[in-house]
Formats: sequence, structure tokens, C-alpha cells
Amino acid sequence: MPNVTYIEANGTEHEVDVIEGCSLMEGSILNEVPGIIGLCGGICSCATCHCYIGPQWAARLSPPSEGELAMLERASDRRPESRLGCQIAVTQELDGMVVRLPEHQSTGDN
Amino acid sequence: MVHFDPFDHAFHDDPYAVYRALRDEAPVYYAAPYKLWVLSRYDDCSRAVRDFKSFINKYGVSIDEAKEQMPTVLTVDPPDHTRLRHLMAGMFTPEAVQPLEASVRTMARELLAPFLETGKVDIIGDFAARLPMAIICRLLGFPREDEDMLRNWTDLVVQRDEAATEMPQHAIDATLKLFDYFEKHMAERARKPARDDLVAHLMASEKAGKLSHQEVLGYLYILSIAGNETTTKLIGNITYQMHRNRDQLELLLNDRSLMADAVEETMRYDGPTQLMGRGVGRDIEYHGQTIKEGERIALLFMSANRDERHYPDADVYDINRRARDHLGFGGGLHACLGAALARLEAKVAFEEMLDVMPDFIVDEGGLKRMHAPSVRGYTHVPVTFKPVQGVRVA
Repeated sequence: MPNVTYIEANGTEHEVDVIEGCSLMEGSILNEVPGIIGLCGGICSCATCHCYIGPQWAARLSPPSEGELAMLERASDRRPESRLGCQIAVTQELDGMVVRLPEHQSTGDN
Repeated sequence: MVHFDPFDHAFHDDPYAVYRALRDEAPVYYAAPYKLWVLSRYDDCSRAVRDFKSFINKYGVSIDEAKEQMPTVLTVDPPDHTRLRHLMAGMFTPEAVQPLEASVRTMARELLAPFLETGKVDIIGDFAARLPMAIICRLLGFPREDEDMLRNWTDLVVQRDEAATEMPQHAIDATLKLFDYFEKHMAERARKPARDDLVAHLMASEKAGKLSHQEVLGYLYILSIAGNETTTKLIGNITYQMHRNRDQLELLLNDRSLMADAVEETMRYDGPTQLMGRGVGRDIEYHGQTIKEGERIALLFMSANRDERHYPDADVYDINRRARDHLGFGGGLHACLGAALARLEAKVAFEEMLDVMPDFIVDEGGLKRMHAPSVRGYTHVPVTFKPVQGVRVA
């Protein structure tokens, strides 16, 4: 199984195995890694699986779809390396990947 | 002492006072007659939907007496759940369902057209009950002439008589008819060239060994049922709330770009799915109360959505609220797969209504409510409006 390291905003690292084919969002939820909410369950509708992927790993991913970019508009602390975890499937080629998590997941205006 | 009985028909008229009492007095409630624990606060429900090891789906999500479950995406847990959900998740993103907007709009116009000159329509019976099934049939690839028959069966599956706490015979019969229909439909398909729709996708997945035949049937069953009644009720509920909250209707009429926000606030304030059942997968503790592995528990999503601990003025219907974290579609790994489609259908349906009946009034005396422990909404929402002369071409 591919190995992924999730790093919380406070620096805590979680090195976990993710079932191939699962999304980065599912990889964190199934391994009980805090920092990702995944409210909508992976249909690109909530931006609560916001994460940061550094350039060395981003280069191996398909670029975000228009739908993902539209949803990222809702994310707080958006950066150039922002992605939605639910839209990235973990494959063996991503073994060793590092994913940084934001301090907060945006859940609306209220 | 608060009393909560989700099977009581009188309770369905206005459950919100009871929900408030549950949140205030008994955030962990035990409904002894149903051997059912109940969580009602936002923080508790929101924690629960993320804790897939403590709150499990394999014993089903209804609060009817537990029976053996067919394996559907709703009644399995990871990793099987993950495999089933992956097959469809990409087809239900907002981007993936967006191309359906034109079809939804055309169907909405066709359904409303016969009533425009009369100035009267039953928003559920004549309109909202028909629209979602038409779209589901189109997505799945079932013939249009089968719509009424299929909708009749799916309605029977969810309909409950008072005090019925297990699946009644009419629901079992309708389920068997649906399965028979799915089998025959797929057998016929297998003899013809493959098409591009959800049934074709499921059949191909079975052939590739990704799904068992039972799982294909389960998927068709859940896709037929889940998106049908709840979307119908959502369109009815937004109609009713806009009628009751004329200031919000005015806001919307003056700024139609608020439509998606209005749908979202309706899902928070008056979403059709009141609750979901879960099994307790390991001992848990909420508010000092231990709940043992193997017990049944209900998550009161609509109570969570009205929790003043989370939403300021939670009992106010405010289309400018823009809360995206409500639990109207549930949340977490089992969150509603068809949420983006439901949002699209409700938005387009109400847009089309406002185009032709901006002055609509609900005839409150003619409202009729459905009765089920988990879904709340109307079976009849008669409205009157200023008649429109000349039927538009769709």
C-alpha cells in the first residue's frame, strides 16, 4: 500500500498506509488523521478536505478540474499549492507523498 | 421530561420543539420502545458522522427494526463502502451533474405548462413528485414510459402506516417488483450494444469483477429510491418556506443569484431527511453516558441543524446565512452521494416556478403531510397564482 505522510498545521506528522485507489481525503479519514473533515463524502462539494501539495508531488498529479478550482474558492488560507484531497486518488506512484493540512477547514460564512 | 417518538404521526407536524428539548435536556436520549439511542446536538452529530468506526452502517440506516441488509453503498462500511462509493462518486460531482441542467429545466417547464392558464397546481403531485424520477430514469437509462410505474413502487417502499416499525408487506412487495424490473432490464440490455449511462457502468463493473450481481442490484435500488422522494420533499419544503417567509421570497425575487443559497438554507432549516440510524461499532461515551457496542443509535440531523449552540438564530430561515456545514445531506464518508444533483434539481425547479408564478400562495388547508420516521415533507402542496396566458414552448 502507498505510504502517505499527513502533516497537521501544528507540525504533527502522521505516516499512514492508504489503500490504493482511495482519495487523500479517504486516506486521512480511514486512518483517523485529524485535520480533514470530508463533509460531503468526496463529491467535490464542500472544500473541507483542503490540503497543500508541494511542487515535487503536484507535478505527478493531474491538474485540478474546473469543478475543483471552483470549490477551492471557498477554502480559507488558499495557496498556490492548494488542492482538494477528495479529488486526488492515491496510487503506488505516490508512495512517500507528503500532504500538509491547513489550520482550519472552511465550513461556510457563519 | 422530554418524549421523542419518531413514529408518532402527530409529532411530524412540528418536531422542532421536541428537538430543542432533546438538545437542552437529554442530548443523549434513549427511546426505550425502539431500543434506540438518540443524539441531537450539532457537535455530537457532526463528530458521529466522522467517526466511522463507532457509528457503523452495516445494520442499516433506518430506525425500523433491524433486518438483514442488502449490501448497498448505504449499508456497508469501509473498505467495501469505499469500493462501492468510488464507482459512482466521480459521476455525482457538481461538475459532472451540471450538464443535466438543461434536461431538468426542460422537464420542469413541461410539467408546469399544463397548469399555467389555470393558476393552480399541486407542487408535489403535479410537479415535484415527477421531476426527480424523470431525471433518475434518464441517468440510469430506464425508458421514460416506465417512470410512473417505478415511482409508484419506490413510493411504496418508503411509505409507512402509523406505528409500523418494521418494513410493511407493501414495501417488501414493491422491493421485489423493483428487483424483478432491474433484472429484466439488464437481461434485455445484455443482448444489445452497450450504452452510456449508469446501468451500463454498473453492468461493466460487474463484468470486470469489481461488483457482485447483488451489489449491482443494491446500487440500482438505492439510486432509484434515495434521490427520488427526498428531492421531491425538498422542492415542496422550499415552496412552503418561501410562502411562510415572504420577506425571504422578496429577497430572492429581487436577486435571483441567491437561489443556490436559498436551497442550502432550506436544507439546513427544513431538510427532508430528519435523521439517520447507525449501529454502535464500539463502546462510545457521549455526555457521560456509555453506549455499548451493538446498540442502535439515531443521529438527528435536523435537530443538529437547528442547534443554537452552533448557528446563531438557528430557528430563523435566512437565505443569506450561507452555512455550508449543515447536516441536511448527512456528512462524512456516507454523506448523500446525490447531493449535487438534488441541489441542481431543487434550484432549477424553483427557478422555473418563480418565472411563471412569482406571486404564488400555498393553500395551507390543502397541505398533506407524509408520515415516515426519517423523512419529513408534504405529499400535497396546492398553490394558486396569477394565471399565465399562452403556454411557453420548452
